[in-house]
Amino acid sequence: MHEVKTPLIRLAKRDAMPAWQVWCIRGSSFIAAILLGALIFLVLGNNPISAYGTILSGSLGKSTAIRQTVKIAIPLLGTALAIAPCFKMRFWNIGAEGQITAGAVAASYFALFWADRLPGPALILVMAAAGAVAGGIWALVPAFFKAKWGTNETLFTLMMNYIIIGVVRWLQGGPWEGRPGSQIIPQFDSKAVLPKVLGVHCGWIIVLVLTVVMFIYMKYTKQGYEIAVIGESENTARYAGMNVGAIIMRTMFLSGAISGLVGFIVASGANNTLYDGVAAGVGFTAITVAWLAQLNPFAMIGISALLAVLEKGADTLQTRMNVPASISDIITGIFLFCMLGCEFFINYRLILRGGHKEVTGA
Amino acid sequence: MKKRLLALLLACSMVFALAACGGNGQSGTPETTAPETGAPETTAPETGAPEAKTVKVGLICIGDENDQGYTYNFIRGKEAVTETLAAKGINVEWVVKYNIGEDSSCEDANIELAEEGCQLIINNSYGFEPFMLKVAPDYPEIEFISCTNQASWNDGLDNTHNAFANIYEGRYLAGVAAGMKMQELIDNGDITADQAVIGYVGAYSFAEVISGFTAYYLGAKSVCPSVSMKVQFVGSWSDATAEGNAADALCDLGCIMISQHSDNTTPATTAQSKGAFHTGYNNDMIGVAPEASIIGTRIDWSVYFEYAIEAVVNGESFDQDWCHGMDEGAVVMTPLNEDIAAAGTAEKLAEVEEAIRTGALQVFDTATFTVGGEEVTASFALDTDGDFTPDSEEAVFDGAYHESYFQSAPYFALQIDGIEWLNSAF
Repeated sequence: MHEVKTPLIRLAKRDAMPAWQVWCIRGSSFIAAILLGALIFLVLGNNPISAYGTILSGSLGKSTAIRQTVKIAIPLLGTALAIAPCFKMRFWNIGAEGQITAGAVAASYFALFWADRLPGPALILVMAAAGAVAGGIWALVPAFFKAKWGTNETLFTLMMNYIIIGVVRWLQGGPWEGRPGSQIIPQFDSKAVLPKVLGVHCGWIIVLVLTVVMFIYMKYTKQGYEIAVIGESENTARYAGMNVGAIIMRTMFLSGAISGLVGFIVASGANNTLYDGVAAGVGFTAITVAWLAQLNPFAMIGISALLAVLEKGADTLQTRMNVPASISDIITGIFLFCMLGCEFFINYRLILRGGHKEVTGA
Repeated sequence: MKKRLLALLLACSMVFALAACGGNGQSGTPETTAPETGAPETTAPETGAPEAKTVKVGLICIGDENDQGYTYNFIRGKEAVTETLAAKGINVEWVVKYNIGEDSSCEDANIELAEEGCQLIINNSYGFEPFMLKVAPDYPEIEFISCTNQASWNDGLDNTHNAFANIYEGRYLAGVAAGMKMQELIDNGDITADQAVIGYVGAYSFAEVISGFTAYYLGAKSVCPSVSMKVQFVGSWSDATAEGNAADALCDLGCIMISQHSDNTTPATTAQSKGAFHTGYNNDMIGVAPEASIIGTRIDWSVYFEYAIEAVVNGESFDQDWCHGMDEGAVVMTPLNEDIAAAGTAEKLAEVEEAIRTGALQVFDTATFTVGGEEVTASFALDTDGDFTPDSEEAVFDGAYHESYFQSAPYFALQIDGIEWLNSAF
């Protein structure tokens, strides 16, 4: 009798690999992504070398280009920082999109209706605080339900996104609408706009400070430790006397508050107005950033910068070489796919039926 | 284990799918490249023929030509003007950004085009203007145009421009064609006089839309006095399903003629399936609804583009707020569907068009409509203090409401008698 049940390919968890090997896999997967991208450019009839050259020069070639790139990276980094503690706790917060939007709504309220009642710096501070609180509350709702009744946080946070986006649509067409019928909320008063530092709104300073704070919080504080313990094992945490529900709610509030702060930064710094696409998918892309960085705040700076370079570069690519705009999504997709894929091969190995050959690679 | 294998295979197939997408993109690329600019790769500017003048023009679009409506109409204008100016020895090199949102990505697109050396940058959507205005001060040597918008006359910048066309003139003519059809049905005894009801699918209760359907109604009323109209707003500029549903609901309410101010062709196809007639906007819709679509109207943007681009090439200044209509051919009718139009429609349209062109006929003649049972004698056109309520420039004089007279963007927003708004939540 031969073995009936052996599948063609099996997966097995790997033992820990030496660091140099891990980085070899990562490096080769990066190269694979570049080659795959080059293939796409060839199919499109463009020279891959000049295409990559355009991406780099378009995103980093000039000071104006660098500013644009930084502007794209700011919300990505900020939101990745926001979801990091949740993911560390294995609480799957995919509602950053909605938390950003909620923060933007609250900040916009003060920008639109309090601009003539508050002095400039106070207005900005109030907007930031309102954004953080609103984002925090928006995140606290699913956390409360999870802590009390064990509801599914993935679905709950996801659905909260659509609610707040609907609210913004209503505001756009209703009470906050500018010219009747335009569906556009007026631009903020200049007092409600984040000042620029080195040509980019100062949101970049805020997120960089947050990066350091988050690193310290996760690594060196008691609360950060509690989060890590719950992530490893909820029962252990309970046995150790931690109030798991309270910690979940506290962490989610923190996460939502940072997302809300990002919403404030985007509305005040980049858009100077509020509209339903304020989060622009950042809440979802940031999940990838956080995962790729393995929840390390400093690694997130690199990953979000890389994604911003790709996005801005692909934009220039469209302008200069007339490739379709969707090329940006394709190239970004390939890079993410290869980079996430390589983490898989670092953790698992493939075993083919028959021999005991091991397949590594990207 | 099997599931994981499946996931792996799925992942692999995704990679191939991505590659395949790229393949499709290739066939689409030639359409998006600037036409007839000599260099095939289009990346070699300023090296072309020494005697021909070359101008680099940026165009930022909210959609792409696949919408077969709004943006498609701009692309048609772009292609037409490229040909016209080539004949005049001006080589236009276009850089087009498609599918840009009405948000900070529009600001980025303006910066990008400015940095790429465009001498003129055209923004094609209403919501682009605030973001364009953030970029314009940094590039005083570049001319910026925001189509359909209105800030240039008082934004304090010399290099910003607005442009629109008197599309209400085309609406009026389409209304005449629709009215003649309904009058013919009445005369033939197919419907009674009070069954002449128009159903209008509107995007939002926005001045541009209100001005359009009012002109349309007045055109129909000029040849079919018993006509009435119902307007259903869909709350979106482009939502094929909602537009079709709105047309469907209007047909169920007894409307026998459907028209629209929205981007898709679903109102036309719905009208056809419900046995109603239709007149279109932005594009000829006879192809999709041969038994329903009578005529359409659209803006011919090449007229304005030619004016603006030529001015830039010659280093001349040009109007900060431009608006023309049939007088310069900026508003045109799409072909008349002779198979279903009432007899004599073509002749009548030619006659009315001539009257509009010469100014003998005013579309918003205050003698032809009432508001709340009374003739309109006063209505302000412009808002100067930013509260979105018009407070200056009297639009009613010489027996007519002068639409697009003080600024290119439409400002007619009166609710006249005979037009029933089914919803006004938008």
